[in-house]
Amino acid sequence: MKKLVLALSLAVAFALSAPAYAHFQMIYSPDSVPKSKKLTLKLVFTHPFEAGHTMDIGKDEKGKIHPPIAFGEMHKGKKKDLLDALKPVTFASLTNNGKAYEANVKLKGMGDHVFYFVPAPYYEGSEDVYIQHCTKVIFNVAGAPTDWDAQVGDPLPVEIIPLDKPYALWTGNVFRGVVTCKGEPVPDAEIEVEYLNHDIEGNTFVKEAKVEAPHDALITMTIKADKNGVFAFGIPRAGWWGFAALGAGGDLKHNGKELSQDAVIWVQALDMK
Amino acid sequence: MRKALIFFLICLVSAIFPVPQGFAHTPLCYCEDNGDGTITCEGGFSDGSSGAGVKMKVVDTGGNVLIEGKMDEDSEFTFKKPEGDYTVILDAGPGHEVEVPGSEITE
Repeated sequence: MKKLVLALSLAVAFALSAPAYAHFQMIYSPDSVPKSKKLTLKLVFTHPFEAGHTMDIGKDEKGKIHPPIAFGEMHKGKKKDLLDALKPVTFASLTNNGKAYEANVKLKGMGDHVFYFVPAPYYEGSEDVYIQHCTKVIFNVAGAPTDWDAQVGDPLPVEIIPLDKPYALWTGNVFRGVVTCKGEPVPDAEIEVEYLNHDIEGNTFVKEAKVEAPHDALITMTIKADKNGVFAFGIPRAGWWGFAALGAGGDLKHNGKELSQDAVIWVQALDMK
Repeated sequence: MRKALIFFLICLVSAIFPVPQGFAHTPLCYCEDNGDGTITCEGGFSDGSSGAGVKMKVVDTGGNVLIEGKMDEDSEFTFKKPEGDYTVILDAGPGHEVEVPGSEITE
């Protein structure tokens, strides 16, 4: 009995002390301008700076996993449903295993290939809210700009529309975007920014971190959009950077609880060398 | 009067230094093997403008022209895959050629 109490106390203490870093849905592949046309995309709902707790995508408050709502590709303005390409995988963070997906895709044709994902809402017990990260990432083939600055629209209810090519950024460049909900700018949107601080190999985070944050406010950085929904962020280091506009979808409910419908985009900067 | 003079000067400068269309941007060419014995190349410019009408050539290792044509209105050029080594050349004018070796064109 004593042992059980101890175990429970430890569990509670651990749960309460779990750092409240930001959740980020990822659609990951190492290069935004890939060398090969064939990519294996990793769709992981995680804490990218810390390579921390990885969530089961689409898990509700009862622990049931709901399938993703949308996954697709836009190229030259045409959208292709790729839900069938998603395969469940287990992704290992530095602290746990989470239910994630992967998809083998082929980039056909010159130009931008915008991949987008709408998961079922995830129940975050520590905040008693549902979180839904409507995510996109843009890969480019052969340098031709075709879709990077276009709105994907349906099925993405909320999205960040880039004002700078998300795959053509040097370290130190500024990345700007517009937070939108159903195509309309979201004024004063709050945006969390996080660096993918651990490489991904297969379905695991590698242990070594690229940088150490001197304090917590530099792990998940928070910036604000202006009254036109426009934000800007100077990129201090090469690699993948995630932007999550919190509650871009407005006041929403799911299963009677608050739903934070967030717009997420990933961009990659490269060093000048 | 002054406006007319400025206009005249602009016209004069434009006549001396003509700016050929598309030259401010980098020409791009990307080819894929369709897997049915044909190759499709897409062309364009780095600002997103179309390559429609741009001259296309396919040459062998000796530089002999095997196939000639133009990018169609969709900025595409499809041709029968030659036997042996070949290179695709997008010719958007002097200094604005893009060469794509056949060995780099895959399905």
